[in-house]
Amino acid sequence: MGENTKKNKTAIEAFIEGARNGYHTSMNFMTPNVVFAFVLIQVLKLTGLLDIIGKIFSPVMGIFGLPGVAATVLISAWLSTGGGIGAAASLYAAGSLTGPHISILLPAIILMGSQIQYMGRLLGVAEVKTKYYPHLFGICILNALIAMLVMNAVVRSGVF
Amino acid sequence: MGNKSQEQPILFEDDVKVGIAGYVSLIFAILFFSGLFQKAPGAWSAFDFTNLCGNFGSLGELADGAGELASNFRGIGGVGAKDGFLFALTLFPGVIFALGVVKVVEYYGGLRAAQRLLTPLLRPLMGIPGITGLTLIASLQSTDAGGSMTKALRENNLITEKEKTIFCAFQFSAGATITNYFSSGAALFPMMEGTLLIIPLIVMFVCKVLGANLMRIYLNKVAMEDE
Repeated sequence: MGENTKKNKTAIEAFIEGARNGYHTSMNFMTPNVVFAFVLIQVLKLTGLLDIIGKIFSPVMGIFGLPGVAATVLISAWLSTGGGIGAAASLYAAGSLTGPHISILLPAIILMGSQIQYMGRLLGVAEVKTKYYPHLFGICILNALIAMLVMNAVVRSGVF
Repeated sequence: MGNKSQEQPILFEDDVKVGIAGYVSLIFAILFFSGLFQKAPGAWSAFDFTNLCGNFGSLGELADGAGELASNFRGIGGVGAKDGFLFALTLFPGVIFALGVVKVVEYYGGLRAAQRLLTPLLRPLMGIPGITGLTLIASLQSTDAGGSMTKALRENNLITEKEKTIFCAFQFSAGATITNYFSSGAALFPMMEGTLLIIPLIVMFVCKVLGANLMRIYLNKVAMEDE
């Protein structure tokens, strides 16, 4: 895997292959996830749940320099990385999240993303003992929290 | 997928058992598509297909010497599925371009160079042997490749059970880091307003190593695994 590039190819062909892969990902994975996230956010908005989530999570998310609604991004991310990205994009589009908020959230979305899927695709395949699953889930969430603290400090410092 | 028809053959039998969920979802679907809730007050409006399908954004207006146009085809003030779809389209070029570049780096052996540089660091960094270097690089590109190669390492006795668990803690958090960051993550790049793109990548990598070490400490001190 990984180094599967055969040497009888040119760099241009490699680029086209990667780009085609990017199109496939955009069409078949990103778009359905983004549409789902936009609809989900619309449901939460129309039902008034978005405001409630925003209020409930505002003290916790405040630690990371984020508004309460950012919690919906993390919850969606845990279920699917694409969903988390979509939720973040939708809230940004609606003006609920700003650029710095997105920077704080992005590594966290990926660090705790798609856990349910990866449980089968990684832990199941590699035959990790199931008694360690809770620890592994916990580590991912802890990683995401640490990443948000670090990114908040980075964004605030304004150096990068 | 492919050329197959979208319609799946459905077998109708005379004596089918229908659960309560079937009837509830049917009633829900009828109400959802009926339009009855389209103008419903408050939260009820969320039970309507048209409301969730939403609207495309407006492209703006131009008057003589005045007015404002939207910055791209997505427009301004769209909502719901329609806005989500157009928004997703705006993200295509970035994702396509980024994955193309990653492939070129892979073509010139950039990932192999990363593997060479990382291998001697793996033992001090995470307590796993250098032999895991190739799997580690593969796992940054594909979760499935990481999983199956890790399984093979263990089956060939190249790593111990404990090393495997530590290694999986590294892989599990931000699985397929590079692919996810430059495909899904690339969608958010234009919104990051000035944060260097390398920073989140470094933060993720450091957190992955940190996570592996938490597992390492746990296995050594609490679980007392000895293999």
